[in-house]
Amino acid sequence: MSEAKAIHERKHVWRDEILLIVSLVVFVGIVYVLDGALQPVFTNTTLLLTGVFLALVPAAIWLIFFYLQDRAEPEPKGFVLGVFGLGALLAAAVGIPVVENLFRVSHWLRTDTMSTIVGGILVVGFTQEFLKYAAVRYSIYNSDEFDEPTDGVIYATAAGLGYATVLNINFVVSNGGVDLGAGIIRIAVVALAQAAFSGITGYFLGRAKFESEQIWWMPLGITLAAVFNGVFNWLQGVVTRPTITLSGATTNTWMGLVLAAVVALVTTGIILWLVRRNIKSLQAGN
Amino acid sequence: MANKQTSLGDRFAEITVVVVTIIALVAGWFYKSSIENASLPFSVDGISVEAPKGWLQAESSEDVLLRTTDINSTGFGATYTIRKIAITSEATTSEVAGLVTLEHARDLLAFRMLDQREVTVYGREAFEINYVFVESNPDLTHTELPSVVRGTDYVFLNGDHAVVVSFQADEKTYDLDLDRFHVFLQSLNF
Repeated sequence: MSEAKAIHERKHVWRDEILLIVSLVVFVGIVYVLDGALQPVFTNTTLLLTGVFLALVPAAIWLIFFYLQDRAEPEPKGFVLGVFGLGALLAAAVGIPVVENLFRVSHWLRTDTMSTIVGGILVVGFTQEFLKYAAVRYSIYNSDEFDEPTDGVIYATAAGLGYATVLNINFVVSNGGVDLGAGIIRIAVVALAQAAFSGITGYFLGRAKFESEQIWWMPLGITLAAVFNGVFNWLQGVVTRPTITLSGATTNTWMGLVLAAVVALVTTGIILWLVRRNIKSLQAGN
Repeated sequence: MANKQTSLGDRFAEITVVVVTIIALVAGWFYKSSIENASLPFSVDGISVEAPKGWLQAESSEDVLLRTTDINSTGFGATYTIRKIAITSEATTSEVAGLVTLEHARDLLAFRMLDQREVTVYGREAFEINYVFVESNPDLTHTELPSVVRGTDYVFLNGDHAVVVSFQADEKTYDLDLDRFHVFLQSLNF
């Protein structure tokens, strides 16, 4: 890799992230409206297949935007897809078995506020964020294709969406299909949240590769992402808690989507600001 | 931009990430155990025990002193039951166990006894019965498949009555739930 290679910012990365958030919200709205208007009737098989198809949509949207816009200095398609696949594979082979079978979080995680936050950070957060980090760190990270700080965000987002896709497919399959309206909201929430937390790890990975950071730098990144992950899951439980009144119960699933969209936008904004600042400092250094 | 060569510092940083993650997961494991093993004192009719905190406790009825169920279990919820049965002074643990087994055969669907034996449970002589049955929700609109349930009863003699402590759990989670039951069993006093 040439020393003289210009440090620049891939502006489209941020557009992709924001387009993913906006597109997902729009997509959810369309599915929700169509489901309400048409009230389609599914067999068990078609319901399952539709759920699995919907679980693939968030990753497909991001990948399409990414490839359409990544033309100036394209990342190898195989590498981005490979990291996406690795994130998915680690979720299926390690993440879900550890969280659900070994730690059996469904038995104790939602006991009270404290357990939801502490358990969410220590068990769910660290497992998920470490595996997404590993998907990048032990694959593309040492390659010459990982040649600028923004690549950390790109590849970590790919790993995060791979992880989210498997989480969503697992949810659909274990429930034998999902109600389209509520199901698509959950799918979008998981995808947005996983992509946002991966962005944090990606920023730390990008800097760790190109600057001489302290030994605590990368652990700090994973810990921050895990804390965001745990706190988000608790907040999501709070805002989506059903409201029960004398006239009946109402669910607040939409609030979960609003929260996920806001968290994703804010996280993307903060990472954008940090990366820009970092690039300016590197340019000044060169 | 040049790729930085992997330095010793990078290696240490990489190892630190793994170490921090392991520490977090170990701490998470201890935290999980502290929640799962949390208990509330329960005492009735001369029998005291540390009942699991956060479980659904049914009111005592007839000879059943305590019936507590893990509401977060999947399938058939793990259930602990303590019964106090009046007996004659000559009755042995195996005779009481035979009576309990007959009751199970009458009350439980597709009941099968797996094995039975004399054991010592935390210093007390007891009779252990291992069995299996099918739990089917009687509600015809209930759409789930019936659960296969594994159960273990311990029969203790205490003067003019027998204390029967039962553990029943979905056969898929029986082994995982067994450790928590032993904590419960260890806390039993009468």
